[in-house]
Amino acid sequence: MTDSIVPQLVRKDFLIWRRLILIFCSVSLACIAAVGLLHGHVPNHVMLNLGFTLLVTPAGTLGIVLLMQTNVFEKAKSTQLFIMSLPVTARRFTLAKLLVNVPVFGAVWLVTTAAAFAYTFGLGLLPPGAIPMMTMIFLGVFVAYSGILAVSLLSQSLGTTILAILFFEVGTSIYLWIVALVGPVGRHVFGPIAVWNRTAIAVVALQVLVAVAAMGTTLVVQTRRRDFV
Amino acid sequence: MGTPLAVLCKGICKRYPLFRLQDVDLSFERGTVMGLVGPNGAGKSTLLRIVMGLVGADSGHVEVLGHRMPAEQVAAKYQIGFVAEDMRLYEGQTIGFHMDLVKSIFNSWDDGYAATLLRRLDLAKEHKVKGLSHGQRVKALLLLALARRPNLLVFDEPTTGLDPAVRKEVLDEMMNALEDDTRSILFSSHNTLDIEQISDYITFLYGGRVVESRDKETFLDSWRRLRMTNPDHRPLPDLPNIREVRQSGRLCTVTVADYSDAIPGEFVGAGLRVDDIEALTLEEIFLSNVHHAKGLAKAEAAS
Repeated sequence: MTDSIVPQLVRKDFLIWRRLILIFCSVSLACIAAVGLLHGHVPNHVMLNLGFTLLVTPAGTLGIVLLMQTNVFEKAKSTQLFIMSLPVTARRFTLAKLLVNVPVFGAVWLVTTAAAFAYTFGLGLLPPGAIPMMTMIFLGVFVAYSGILAVSLLSQSLGTTILAILFFEVGTSIYLWIVALVGPVGRHVFGPIAVWNRTAIAVVALQVLVAVAAMGTTLVVQTRRRDFV
Repeated sequence: MGTPLAVLCKGICKRYPLFRLQDVDLSFERGTVMGLVGPNGAGKSTLLRIVMGLVGADSGHVEVLGHRMPAEQVAAKYQIGFVAEDMRLYEGQTIGFHMDLVKSIFNSWDDGYAATLLRRLDLAKEHKVKGLSHGQRVKALLLLALARRPNLLVFDEPTTGLDPAVRKEVLDEMMNALEDDTRSILFSSHNTLDIEQISDYITFLYGGRVVESRDKETFLDSWRRLRMTNPDHRPLPDLPNIREVRQSGRLCTVTVADYSDAIPGEFVGAGLRVDDIEALTLEEIFLSNVHHAKGLAKAEAAS
């Protein structure tokens, strides 16, 4: 008898949603290739904007669709009652959901981010001075996802998850604009070298902290939760 | 030392905005069947979810197969098979997928028994859940609960919405599961026939409270209907166990709980003639209990 059934629950969700994951991964790869084909055919600023949209949209959509299917709809369709009748606690159930959603989104986000960096700086669309800002933008996507995931896992409500999506999408954009306008970061964006000053490092550290805290808090709250169906 | 208990609930309270479970005591020994009966909204499902550790009680003590709930729910759930009327399987997957999942979790999973159940319940591993009828879905859930060979089966309204043929199949499998003397069943239903058919003990819940809880024979034996003649409409003796009175012309019908041989004498002493004394079915007891409990609740609200 194994004490924890988290691996079985993770495997179960991967098996159920493997086609969806595969489709979105394929779309992500196709988008990465499509962005490469744009080079030389459109102006650099158009390629930057179009490229960002093409790269981030499939990754973001996969993240949201997967968490809706594995979490919100699991509650709504009462399959959660079946799972919770198995030897599992609310905390382990939540841990299993994190272990499905975060690696899938994380992997696609990582590849997308790498592609964005390769195109942006490999093709000289922006100077190296923009590296810290790009890092913050792509980390911002991950932080927003972590926040949405945490709210979704805690509320298991479609309405609240949609509100969280709106809040984190708008909030991240506002936050990044503020960062871009802050002197110590904004003034080096078009510079010839990447400047990792204290402000830039603090912003990145804060983003990582928020992402980790969102997931950690979710687990702590679920441990204390008394009603879970 | 007596037989160990399958379930022990003491002083369970749970408050919701529009409903509360109040000071519920429930216990039964291993190897027996406890039937929870009560109208919709009585608190049966809440109580079963508390027993399963899925809902935490505000106060009280719950032990299942010697494990404190919800703290030791993981250890307890390895020995429990739970089926609820509102429980669903993954629509896009097959019965076989669910069998593999449960098998990967329970070392006690019995492949041979699972195959027998598939045959007996007329199911196939390849059946997709999406295409199953309600009855087939309940049977699939029953299979998943039984084939892991649990020590305790907890069923929340398992026969609700089933046609008579499927209902019989489900009840038969529940009965078959009892061939193992150590296995216990806790199940709720508002179908009193099901409860009467397989329970050793019956607990009647109403408005979040336990109205009665005792073994089936005593339960059924403690209720009587007295058919009497009361031509002068004389007042009835003031007995605390009178649950229902119907006067129609000269005829008076009185339903009593906690019946004893002395009761007819009380009516004869009051000037009535006792014509007949009948035992009640569980359905009749259920309705009488609901009627009485509603009256008490109204009186309580008025005071």
